[in-house]
Amino acid sequence: MTVAGDNCLAIRQLSLRVDGQMLFRTLDLAVAPGTVVVVTGPSGAGKSSLLAFLCGTLPPEFDAQGAVWLDGDDISRLPPEKRGLGILFQEPLLFPHLSVRGNLLFGLREGDSRKTRRLIVDRELDAMGLAGFGDRDPVTLSGGQKARVALLRVLLARPRALLLDEPFLGLDDANRAKVRQLVFDEIRRRQLPTLLVTHDRDDVACADGPVVALTRP
Amino acid sequence: MRRPGILILLLVSGVPTVAGLVAALWFGLDAAAFLRVLNTPGVGLSIASSVWTGVSATLLSLMLAHVVLAVANTGNWRRRLTALSLPFLAMPHLATGIGVALVLAPSGLLLRLLSPWATGFTEPPDWFSVHDPYGLSLIAGLMLKETAFLVLVLSAAQSQAPTGRLLLQARSLGYGRLKSWLVAVAPLLQQQIGLPLAAVLVFGITNVEMAIPLGPGLPPTFSVLLWSWFVDADPQVHAQAWAGSLLLLLVTALTVLAASRLASGVGSLWRRWAESGSRLRRERSLRGAACTIMGGMWILGILALVAILLRAAAGPWRFPQVLPSSTGADSFAAWSAALPGGSNVAGTTVVLALATAVAGALLVLPAAEALRGDANGRRKLGTCLFLPLLLPQITFLFGVQVLLVSAGIDGTFAAVLWSHLIFALPYVWGVIGPARAAIDPRYAAVGRTLGAGPVRVWMTVTAPLTLRSMLLAMALAFSVSVALYLPTLFAGAGRVATAATEAAASAGSGTLRLAAMHSVWLAVFPLLAFAAAYAASAAVFRHRRGVPR
Repeated sequence: MTVAGDNCLAIRQLSLRVDGQMLFRTLDLAVAPGTVVVVTGPSGAGKSSLLAFLCGTLPPEFDAQGAVWLDGDDISRLPPEKRGLGILFQEPLLFPHLSVRGNLLFGLREGDSRKTRRLIVDRELDAMGLAGFGDRDPVTLSGGQKARVALLRVLLARPRALLLDEPFLGLDDANRAKVRQLVFDEIRRRQLPTLLVTHDRDDVACADGPVVALTRP
Repeated sequence: MRRPGILILLLVSGVPTVAGLVAALWFGLDAAAFLRVLNTPGVGLSIASSVWTGVSATLLSLMLAHVVLAVANTGNWRRRLTALSLPFLAMPHLATGIGVALVLAPSGLLLRLLSPWATGFTEPPDWFSVHDPYGLSLIAGLMLKETAFLVLVLSAAQSQAPTGRLLLQARSLGYGRLKSWLVAVAPLLQQQIGLPLAAVLVFGITNVEMAIPLGPGLPPTFSVLLWSWFVDADPQVHAQAWAGSLLLLLVTALTVLAASRLASGVGSLWRRWAESGSRLRRERSLRGAACTIMGGMWILGILALVAILLRAAAGPWRFPQVLPSSTGADSFAAWSAALPGGSNVAGTTVVLALATAVAGALLVLPAAEALRGDANGRRKLGTCLFLPLLLPQITFLFGVQVLLVSAGIDGTFAAVLWSHLIFALPYVWGVIGPARAAIDPRYAAVGRTLGAGPVRVWMTVTAPLTLRSMLLAMALAFSVSVALYLPTLFAGAGRVATAATEAAASAGSGTLRLAAMHSVWLAVFPLLAFAAAYAASAAVFRHRRGVPR
């Protein structure tokens, strides 16, 4: 899997070490636009560290070798905010001090006037089936609603690729399928290369893409 | 970014402490002065009463705090307990001491309340109910403050250990509330509170703030004796104060050492008690006794506050009358007249306290940022910042003063501010450090991946989430600064007058009315600071229940 054309998220010759110990075998993979590559592995195999490396938030005690490429550029040395990678964690992590709208405005790229930005956000909320939720306190939302706001917040930042860290795990059965479908639909519609870290078999089935297992060296 | 913040913090706290201690050793080692100290009549008794009052107040406060927490361990009561002890935490030692003196004195509020209907007194009796030779009123005053402090320290430690489950386990094995706590939880907590407990003991032995208004008179406690030597103009007596402050350091160190040896002995007795399997029979009456003492202390504390206000506002106040005969406009005019530069003193106190709060938070924030992911580093830094609280203030502040004089900056606002920071930083760090670390690092990661740079993420995500802790930390720093007497006296070279220095000076010369007037500021300013911090913290993010408290 070394096909790394344009519009791809590609990991090249990546190895992560802590105290000289390699976390997993050297990793090479490429994710094409609109596909979801699933990464699995036992706990402690370095799945979260892999995502942190991709985002650029790996703690300094890690020794990382290799590179991550996006759309034909090596983004390994860029700060997190310049990489164009969006991430969804297991918890929605809506900023508790901002309203739902505030969270979305934080995500939305700058540019337009204040008023236009608010209009954009409210329109998107509407499209997500959350009309009138703009002024709500994030803690008052249900799990499914929070997940939707988190997804919307990531998408408003216009990422060029998406990272998913078991994002459906915290949801109840009814919501899980719905939110998963929503996320995957958006990925395909926007043709985002996506890396999904998960244990869940249904996730793997729905992702309908290549599966990579992290293995100990 | 990582190192400088921590380094600056350590330098601000450590340099004056270490330098002061070295200077104290350098100038204090004077054999002739030592001999004069040892030949002072009553010096042995004076040292003994320092140790006796400090040790008994610490022990009693610790026992009381544990029993009260054991009894009030359901969620609601714990919160109420913290709220109830807050006024006593906020009120400085000096004001509490002056207030307790105004309650317990023969002509004090307590006997006025009981006379003449219960006691038959129409004149104040000839009692030593304060300044008593056994230091009992001093012990009571110290207990009032330290029990409240230890209750707070213990409940903070409680949230670090699985105390709820341990308690439930012990109670399901048939132990009562008290023994469950004492055997299953208390030993765990004791391991965590070693430093604050040592600070309480050191303060108990070496303080002047409470010993001046309440402590024994002939001879006074050793630190008060040193203090009176220090303000003496004779250089020979001054040298005596230097040598004596080293003796105080030695006595304190030995006492703390003995206490820690004793504690390990008590620990093994404790284990045997736990292994004995005995279920306490008379637990109910023990708990009742503790609650009664606690209630009595609470009433004493409230009376102390009332007594300060009454005494400050009163004109002539004949003995058995509970309320002064004249209050109101004329006495308020008398008050302003009686306070030379009164508004200046209040102003200096507030400005100094505000500066301490702001500078403290600014100094701590970079270090909190640098150590957010390093629990071990946070603990080490906390210990380092706490060390000055384990020294007798009088000893290293003597040294600090000499250094300030030789640098030519004694008596300046900056010097006093610096000395206040030494004592405020451990508390500011204790609140902000853990609060910053408790913020899920993924919030910042989310912010960064959404396109915000590190500065913007700090301003828009991290800072708001830490804001409530910052407010609380600043209120703490503010109240610490208001309360500080010796640092203000020494670093200010007697030229910086705050409510604390004026109150202590008046209490020392026995003019209790003036002392009460200054104590009003001492009592009111910290309470206002906490009230403002709580109000602000409730008002910001009022509609955001998810923001950490």
